[in-house]
Amino acid sequence: MSTDSLAPALAKKRVLVCVGSGGVGKTTVAATLALRAAVEGRSSLVCTIDPAKRLANSLGLSALGNTETQVQAQVLEGLGVKPKASLHAMMLDMKQTWDDLITRFAPPEQRERILSNRFYQSLSTALAGSQEYIALEKLWELRRRSNYELIVLDTPPTAHALDFLDAPNRILDFLDNEAAKWLLTPALKAGKIGLSLFNLGSSYMAKTLSKFTGVETLQELSSFMLAISSMNEGFKERARGVRDLLKDEQTGFVLVTGPHPERLDEVTHFRTLLKQNQMEVLALVVNRVHPHPSRALWEDAARLTRSRRTKVEETLEELKVLAEQDARAIAQLSAACPDTPLIQVPRFELDVHDLTALWRTGRYLMGDEQVP
Amino acid sequence: MAGLLDKRLWIVSGKGGVGKSTVSAALALRSARAGRRTLVCEVNTQERISRFLERPPVGPTVTLLEENLWAVDVRPQEAMREYALMVLRFETLYKTVFENRVVRYFLRFIPSLQELVMLGKILYHLQEKLPDGRDRYETIVLDAPATGHAITFLNVPQVLLRTLPPGPMTREALKMKDLLVDPQVTAAVLVAMPEELPVNEALELHAALRDQVHIRTHAAVLNGTFPDRFTDGDLEALSGSPELHRVTKAHHDRASLAELAGTKLERNLHVPVYPVPRIFTPAFGRKAIEQVMGHLEPLVTGAS
Repeated sequence: MSTDSLAPALAKKRVLVCVGSGGVGKTTVAATLALRAAVEGRSSLVCTIDPAKRLANSLGLSALGNTETQVQAQVLEGLGVKPKASLHAMMLDMKQTWDDLITRFAPPEQRERILSNRFYQSLSTALAGSQEYIALEKLWELRRRSNYELIVLDTPPTAHALDFLDAPNRILDFLDNEAAKWLLTPALKAGKIGLSLFNLGSSYMAKTLSKFTGVETLQELSSFMLAISSMNEGFKERARGVRDLLKDEQTGFVLVTGPHPERLDEVTHFRTLLKQNQMEVLALVVNRVHPHPSRALWEDAARLTRSRRTKVEETLEELKVLAEQDARAIAQLSAACPDTPLIQVPRFELDVHDLTALWRTGRYLMGDEQVP
Repeated sequence: MAGLLDKRLWIVSGKGGVGKSTVSAALALRSARAGRRTLVCEVNTQERISRFLERPPVGPTVTLLEENLWAVDVRPQEAMREYALMVLRFETLYKTVFENRVVRYFLRFIPSLQELVMLGKILYHLQEKLPDGRDRYETIVLDAPATGHAITFLNVPQVLLRTLPPGPMTREALKMKDLLVDPQVTAAVLVAMPEELPVNEALELHAALRDQVHIRTHAAVLNGTFPDRFTDGDLEALSGSPELHRVTKAHHDRASLAELAGTKLERNLHVPVYPVPRIFTPAFGRKAIEQVMGHLEPLVTGAS
């Protein structure tokens, strides 16, 4: 049995991105990786999206804010470990990060106009893909202006893990699209959406579109596009920066999933997409795996009084069903992703979101222990 | 207590991975068995319900799965096309305008338009009539996205009403909002597992639905509970074999956690909580769904 481990990556990568769909334990994996790196001697930051309060509490942070906060060494002493480097944590506040971006880079005379525009409001809060975009944007900024040896990014829970790669492009299209500018700028110049909107002679197009969206929506959108257009060069440059960072050889992706057959297609598709984009997939972490009840357990059970034996065997039988189910799903996953290391993390007795759980998870991620 | 059968739109949501699709499939199956023409809608996702019921995937077209039960996976592009055709009425016009490259870009920029047309399609089916004037679907089960996305999704009509100038999109949004917030029509069923995070998310979802979307929580489903099997005496007797003790203790702890989770949901949501025991089966298919359905009987019929 191979001992797949994230230890080498943890020792040399500078950015780790944890991706996967909601409810699979991505945040736990991200926090664990940062913790272990700090313990081993690399200063680390974990940037989480929506951490469990208990996780924040257990790191000794009453509230994870949009700024980086150092996790105090004494908090980690409970584990019996002394980190050789500092561990920082932060929680990404999407709206705040967007506002900071605009405040910093918009020309002063456009700033208020952008911040108060209704399209900006929905761009920064509600537009699908906006979270993913700003998370990557923040990652890039942190990488550029901070000295952490390792930054671990937890990503927003997406219904489709794929949104994560597509969404930033959608936002960039939104902000910086030649076609859109071409479409909208004449409208603004004309003062209203009219036949001048399309200069291709197909005037009914504009009419039909406004039937669909309303004329004023088009007007407001064009005014927003114009206000933000002065930032386009900056956005383009930053987008290039983000793309380069994701492809950098010091960056790696950790795909987190559960042992569920229905997630199979999604995981394999996502892995293919990352590879197509020349992004390195370090490992597939299968979280919350039910281990097989050992033979010793059955032997112990056989020695119990009859009524207890029945109850215990029923429980072992159930655990066996779950373990077999998981094993089948994992076999399928591993067959579908032959050249990607697969790391299993067992389901712990109770779902605890504290340092002990992080530490135990870490033992599996680092290859110290394996699911039996 | 009124059962779900008194309502027409059953919205199922909760944290990712808690079994929303399982519960949706079971509720839809029960509604169909009650003789109601039932449509179960997934929203732009990896289809699960057809698989659970051991049928081929249905895709974006409403498809009959069995007597009284139809399913659809609502997808943005197809929903957009259907909506546009309803507004424009002419296929050729749709093709010329909506398949234009520039227009396609443009449509992507309209915030929330995708969600609006998907929700619009679902609510259109809710109002759809048969030639004889009866409702085409008496029950619609919406297997909604997970918590955060569900709030965004269901809130789209109201956000649009606040942010867009009056126009065709807001007219649609107003109609949709009225249906969604009507307690005679709509009931939300929140699903949680007996663990800390899913329960907390159910509470957050409940508050957000109530305060932002104005949809009332009808009931909660606690999915995957463990029965109380081992007594303290059992655990003590097993302390001689540490591994066995660990396994049985874990089972015991899970059972108490389920108890606790149920109480927490009941106290905070002030609605009935229906436990569904964890089902141990090699392949999760129709038989498992039927078992879940059995546990949800009182939720559907209102019988105690």
